[in-house]
Amino acid sequence: MAKYRREQKKNFLKKIVGLFPFIIFCLAFEFVPIFILVRDSFSLKSGDLTLQHYQSAFEPTYLKGFWNSIKLSGVTALIGTFLGAGIGYQIFKWPNKKIQSTLITLSDVTTNFAGAPLAFGFIIILGSAGVVTKFLLNTFHWKIYPDFSIYSFTGLILTYVYFQLPLMVLLIIPAFSGLRQDWREAAQNLGANKMEYWRNVGIPILMPSMIAGYMLLFANAFGAYATAFTLTGLRLPLITMQIGSAISGEVMREQGHGQALAVISLLIMGACIAIYQMGTNKARKWSGH
Amino acid sequence: MAYLTLADISKNFNKNPAVEHFNLDVEKGKLVSFLGPSGCGKTTTLRMIAGFETPDSGVIELDGEDISNIPPNKRNIGMVFQSYALFPNMTVLDNICFGLRMHKMLKNQIVPKAREVLDLVRLSDTANRYPNQLSGGQQQRIALARALAIEPRVLLLDEPLSALDAEVRVVLRGEIRRIQTNLKITTIYVTHDQEEALSISDRVVVMNKAHIEQVGTPQEIYREPKTKFVATFIGTANEFHGSVCGKDSVKSAEFLIKTNNASLFADGDEVFALVRPEKIDVYSYKPENIDGNVLEGLVDTITFRGAETRLGIDIGEKVITADVPGKDVFSYGQRVWVAFDSNACQVLK
Amino acid sequence: MKTPTKGPVFLRFLIVSLFVFYMLLPIVATYLFSLATRWDRSIMPEGYTWEAYQTAFNLSYFRITLKNSLILSIASCLVSFIIIVPTVYLTQINFRKFRPLLDLLMIIPFAIPTVVLALSYVRVYTFQPITRSPFLLIMATVVYTMPFMYRSVSNSVDAVDISVLTEASQSLGGDLWNTLTKVIMPNIYPGILSGMLLVFATVFADFTLAKLITGAHFKTFPMLLVEQTQIDGNVAAALSVISFTLAWGISMVLLWFSSKASKSKKAQPSDKAYIGK
Ligand SMILES: Nc1ncnc2c1ncn2[C@@H]1O[C@H](COP(=O)(O)OP(=O)(O)OP(=O)(O)O)[C@@H](O)[C@H]1O
Ligand SMILES: [Mg+2]
Repeated sequence: MAKYRREQKKNFLKKIVGLFPFIIFCLAFEFVPIFILVRDSFSLKSGDLTLQHYQSAFEPTYLKGFWNSIKLSGVTALIGTFLGAGIGYQIFKWPNKKIQSTLITLSDVTTNFAGAPLAFGFIIILGSAGVVTKFLLNTFHWKIYPDFSIYSFTGLILTYVYFQLPLMVLLIIPAFSGLRQDWREAAQNLGANKMEYWRNVGIPILMPSMIAGYMLLFANAFGAYATAFTLTGLRLPLITMQIGSAISGEVMREQGHGQALAVISLLIMGACIAIYQMGTNKARKWSGH
Repeated sequence: MAYLTLADISKNFNKNPAVEHFNLDVEKGKLVSFLGPSGCGKTTTLRMIAGFETPDSGVIELDGEDISNIPPNKRNIGMVFQSYALFPNMTVLDNICFGLRMHKMLKNQIVPKAREVLDLVRLSDTANRYPNQLSGGQQQRIALARALAIEPRVLLLDEPLSALDAEVRVVLRGEIRRIQTNLKITTIYVTHDQEEALSISDRVVVMNKAHIEQVGTPQEIYREPKTKFVATFIGTANEFHGSVCGKDSVKSAEFLIKTNNASLFADGDEVFALVRPEKIDVYSYKPENIDGNVLEGLVDTITFRGAETRLGIDIGEKVITADVPGKDVFSYGQRVWVAFDSNACQVLK
Repeated sequence: MKTPTKGPVFLRFLIVSLFVFYMLLPIVATYLFSLATRWDRSIMPEGYTWEAYQTAFNLSYFRITLKNSLILSIASCLVSFIIIVPTVYLTQINFRKFRPLLDLLMIIPFAIPTVVLALSYVRVYTFQPITRSPFLLIMATVVYTMPFMYRSVSNSVDAVDISVLTEASQSLGGDLWNTLTKVIMPNIYPGILSGMLLVFATVFADFTLAKLITGAHFKTFPMLLVEQTQIDGNVAAALSVISFTLAWGISMVLLWFSSKASKSKKAQPSDKAYIGK
């Protein structure tokens, strides 16, 4: 009996050994760093516990950073969700399948055009010496600067929406195809007109996908760094910029406030991804898979 | 006066006929089933009645009124979908209430009415669950309840049981029949399961390749098939291909089959003589004094099926299928004689 | 069934055209700008030249950054492969109950902003020779791309019921090595390969992690690109084009793959959410 148990134990060990690289990797490069990050955000250099870093995270500079990030993510995710859903619907309904799949491929490919190349693309068009800017100035004597600026919050919105839109299109098209024909027919059969179908059945069934889409888009914008960095440098404070600065030590302070900012960002992103996950799970369950 | 009339309905998809010259009268309160192989146009016909497809030609009348131009949501024809099509975002009760709300029923009457039909399908305790928390059979019954709640003028069921286990199917088809008879609701039931069609219908419409082969009571369909297709599609039949020879026999390559039913045909007409397996007696000796057909052969296959045993008997030219009582014992390769009455033999073109 | 009326058709056309215009505008502008001689007085460039590309190739950092980025991307692909493929396989075979846990573990990096990941590495690994090293950067990119590498692999593993295949192979006398190389791999490699391609494209385009973790010690292609946006627009455009064309090529290969490998499901849109941002 004892021997058998020992055998079993050996077997189990043999089986689990194969998972060690992964476990060690996750510990070393995911959990321990994050754990220490959280710990540091609560402790002083001396090792004492403190909330001081969180207090400094709520200083006006950082509040501004959070507010800008949330505003930017919220607005571009909103625009992205609704415009993207609308465009996605039109693509979904496109009668010619060839053109339809070309449009989907376009959305797929443009998601690769992000970060620095994207920001620079918009600088080429609408920067202070941009092609369109100059063209409007030379041809129509219309000076769009400084009323408009691509290096401003508006410019960031324009640029972020660029990567939000195709992502939403790609997310929502499966949701539209998940709307089963026979739900529509069943609704009609039970006396619903088109409007009543959408209000009672179509939109509620799309809702989890829409919410999931919004959350993913929000997280997508919230965590972005390269696009804004290229476009605005450090002029327009976003929270990711401020955390970045904390790394390079551009702001000399008691270490720890960067960690506090990071932990708060982590919580925001975590919430978004959790809701995103719940939404997609629900949508998957409803579509029967 | 028929309650639902389909007059010369035709429908093509991209020039391919899905339904051709379909004529049918359904009486009020009856259950009529559409039976036929896959792709023969059953669903298409049903969808035309529900209003999801428009016939290319022909008229559909319900209670004396041409409904061809009424949109589906105004027809008040209930439909149960093969996939149930329950709304996943609503509870069972909300699903059932949906149709009532769309029909602008008074608010305080909706829930009681919904509970009433839920009782009817014996699932009152599932009212607050979501469809994905129900078994297939339960979902099917909720779909039925939802369609019944609006008190439809006609109830359409498109292979409502095809996704379920054999056992559940038998129970549920009885349930559907019970409810249908109690409510006296005119029903069209699509299936490709012949046993299902024969067991629950008042009348059966056998379809093949977009047209109707035969309409009749289950007994008529089984006992007096009008076409070879019906005879072979419903149940099993042994067929002898040959030509009419005299008033009372069909001559095939090797056999002369005696029959009482050849008088409708002229001498020399190409026909099929058909015999059902259960009409055939099998003897281990050569039977004497039999007025009919006797053929000699060897037992080729034996399939025990409980109360009866199905034998395949090789008679040289072909293998004959015969059902014998389960207690009779035969062995492979045994020499036997098959006999069937000349009355039992149908002749069809 | 009903033919749509003219109004919605026109509206659909308009909406989709505007979308396509918006999507193509910065891309086309970048391509043209990289080739333009002068482009500030007219709606189209006045002339075309390869000069910006020549300048770009001759930049002292061009080769080094390109090489660094390629090394980084390839190394991340390999590490990702080594970490994830055996794990998914072994979990599926021996610890199937824990698959949901693995699913959860693998989605976590999605919730970590890249700057936060960078910050935590820089603060934890402060000792030589690891601190701010390319090695650390590779680990970061592997964590960062883990969710979609995992999804590609797990989808293809799920698609072919790996445990049944393994048992079948074992019952026929195959040892672990034979089982893996002759039975399992041929069945799941399209998923793995498409996952690795996605990892490659993402890591190649990454700016944030490289800038914040290694900084100037180990300069990558996107860092050169960002630097050039401040110096010479045409050269920056040329670098953009090179970088985007590469990513685009990989995307096309990916699409081709997912259409070929009908068994393994398509990469999910969310997998591409974070590329290069
Ligand atoms: N929307 C459609 N477009 C084109 N062809 C169709 C369409 N719907 C049905 N058909 C064709 O019409 C024919 C009849 O189809 P129908 O669905 O009515 O068959 P069915 O008898 O219900 O078959 P099953 O038992 O498989 O459900 C088939 O050949 C089918 O391919
Ligand atoms: Mg059908």
